[in-house]
Amino acid sequence: MKRLLSLSWKSFTRSSYFQMNLAIRILIILGFIYFGGIALFFGVTSFYIIKKALDVEDPLMIVNSFLIYWFLADLLIRFFLQQLPVLNIKPFLILPFKRSKIIRYLLSRTGVSFFNIFPLLFFVPFSIVLLVEGYAILGTLTWFLSMFCLIFMNNFINFLINKTNGYFYGILAITGTFALLEIYEIFKITNIADVFFSSFYDQPYFVIVPMALLFISYKLVYNYVRKHFYVDGAIAKKEEKISKRDFNWLDRFGKMGFFLKNDLKLITRNVRPRQVVLMSFLFLFYGLIFYTQDIYRDMQGFIAFASIFVTGGFLLSFGQYVPAWDSEYYKLMMSQNISYKKYLESKWSLMTTACFLSFILSAPYIYFGWEIFSMIAAGASFNIGLNSFITLYGGALNRQPMKLNEKAKAFSNTQAFSPTQLIITIPKLIGPIILFYIPYKFFNYEAGIITLAASGVIGLLLKNQFLNFIEKTYQKGKYKTIAAFDEKQ
Amino acid sequence: MITIDNISKEYNTVEVLRIDELNIPEGQSFGLVGNNGAGKTTLFSLFLDLIQPTRGQITSQGIVVSESEEWKPFTSAFIDESFLIGYLTAEEYFYFIGELRGRSKAQVDELLSGFKDFFHGEILNQKKYLRDMSKGNQKKVGIVGAFIGDPKVVILDEPFANLDPTTQIRLKQLLKKITEERQATILVSSHDLMHVTEVCERIVVLESGKQVKDIKTSEATLKELENYFADRANQEDQYDKTEEAKKED
Repeated sequence: MKRLLSLSWKSFTRSSYFQMNLAIRILIILGFIYFGGIALFFGVTSFYIIKKALDVEDPLMIVNSFLIYWFLADLLIRFFLQQLPVLNIKPFLILPFKRSKIIRYLLSRTGVSFFNIFPLLFFVPFSIVLLVEGYAILGTLTWFLSMFCLIFMNNFINFLINKTNGYFYGILAITGTFALLEIYEIFKITNIADVFFSSFYDQPYFVIVPMALLFISYKLVYNYVRKHFYVDGAIAKKEEKISKRDFNWLDRFGKMGFFLKNDLKLITRNVRPRQVVLMSFLFLFYGLIFYTQDIYRDMQGFIAFASIFVTGGFLLSFGQYVPAWDSEYYKLMMSQNISYKKYLESKWSLMTTACFLSFILSAPYIYFGWEIFSMIAAGASFNIGLNSFITLYGGALNRQPMKLNEKAKAFSNTQAFSPTQLIITIPKLIGPIILFYIPYKFFNYEAGIITLAASGVIGLLLKNQFLNFIEKTYQKGKYKTIAAFDEKQ
Repeated sequence: MITIDNISKEYNTVEVLRIDELNIPEGQSFGLVGNNGAGKTTLFSLFLDLIQPTRGQITSQGIVVSESEEWKPFTSAFIDESFLIGYLTAEEYFYFIGELRGRSKAQVDELLSGFKDFFHGEILNQKKYLRDMSKGNQKKVGIVGAFIGDPKVVILDEPFANLDPTTQIRLKQLLKKITEERQATILVSSHDLMHVTEVCERIVVLESGKQVKDIKTSEATLKELENYFADRANQEDQYDKTEEAKKED
């Protein structure tokens, strides 16, 4: 066990994480502190917040009834983001370790994950508050222990379901159904959940149930891994079936269609870009947060901000990783018969096409009135005419390679993320707000919209100049980029 | 014609490659031999403008490769797996390269039909992404990909490594045929002295980044190369012994 530990310690300290530059490390730590802080904060305060806001005697009851959603959401997030640290068993198989030992080690290592620590950062202070507020000591302890077991149960369940997307959609559907039934007051799952989760407090011996659940889930995973503990088994990378979609219909659109086709394959056949595209799709609904709330109605700056995201989700989330998407075969792209400019132009077309599609999809926002929809249209114009170029330019400064077929890891993932990206985000997001806000303040709303929309048109007119300039920047960094992408992560 | 003119590459002031002058006439099959770290891949990367020369330049058909992109239409290469696109099937990859080189699907198919023996039924119609293929099969795909679109300069780094014996023989036949027909200048590196001497008309030996031999291949070449590397090994042994002797004193 000791030797295994020291091995993973080495792999940890010698990983690129520690060789990364200081700025990124600080960013990650800040992120960790931020989210951890939020969890801690709500762990301490939510008891009082609930008590005050809902005017109830027993906030624990409220928490209990909603825990079912917590754990379902937890599972969904885990499915999406939690990376299982199991990849490389090959070297262990022939070493004189007992299999059971390696598996136990492997499984316990999954325990040390942000996804387990984060909920604990909430539940520990929350339980302490319960004790302070005079809840029964034994009951609180067994309740906390139950939560603890359920968190880790989720950890292991994720292990079992992680390879099949069907589970994800299944859980998503169940959660959605519960939520809808709840909202329309047809059937309240929370009532049942309340009884279930409260029992851990009311009847302390009930703690045996989550403990058993944890044990069963652990055993299931253990047996599963044990059974498949061979190089070609469960832990090894799975060979996928090839996708039938070859997008050949795009050939009709000439050279650009050809590049688009390849990028669509990139997106549909690799884990990481799929993740990003799904995220960017969610951005389409970003406007709902801002347009539905009266506070923002009068804060035009926020409306402008949100509108950029509605049509720019893909541009911003996918575009920031150009050219890292091609990092695995960058040398091919750089030596094949394709000029740098053509290459960049193809990426640009992809981003602008996506913007345009998002704009069409955003049509239902007309519901919120023409004023808001004209803002979305102006934002789309800015995204297509200026943001696309700024994003592409930002890519020239981004030299983090990316593994296409691996999930992004929360907090330990630094692949293809750099401080320069953060800096380049400023003109991307603040720029349109300024473009809109200044004429809006001095003249009127229409002037703001027109300025924002016009900026995009001007950018489009200057397309060639922009692309030439960006190409030069890429050319200048070419060797550095190739060398950086060549580094094995 | 490829001309190397006073090229040198340094990493942190350590010179890893330095070649004063080297001319490779059109259509020649050119072999590069040397131990690990001799600078073979560095030289090939310089041909493809993947790394920046510290000094000097390489000219390919009159084009300075580090200054213009005009060499791309007639040059192709397979250096390592970063020349493959992992999420494509073999066919898709070939069509992709074909498209970049202005070849229609039918033209690519026609070219591929000539590689039937070379593929040995393991490449086409496999319903597999390249990333899931074995190293040897990936290599086959990469090599054939480098011949799409009638390139005038083909660069292959260690093409024989990872290939099964049958395919090695097929590859040698292929390279010889291309050389005989003077279709392209072929630059090959290898650790296998027998293969290079069989395939290449000219062999350059690199050692620690410097050219130490430039041989026009003949019957005697294999022996000469073997002797050369055997001498190297002996010298190193000798050196180790004297070092040990020094320590013992």
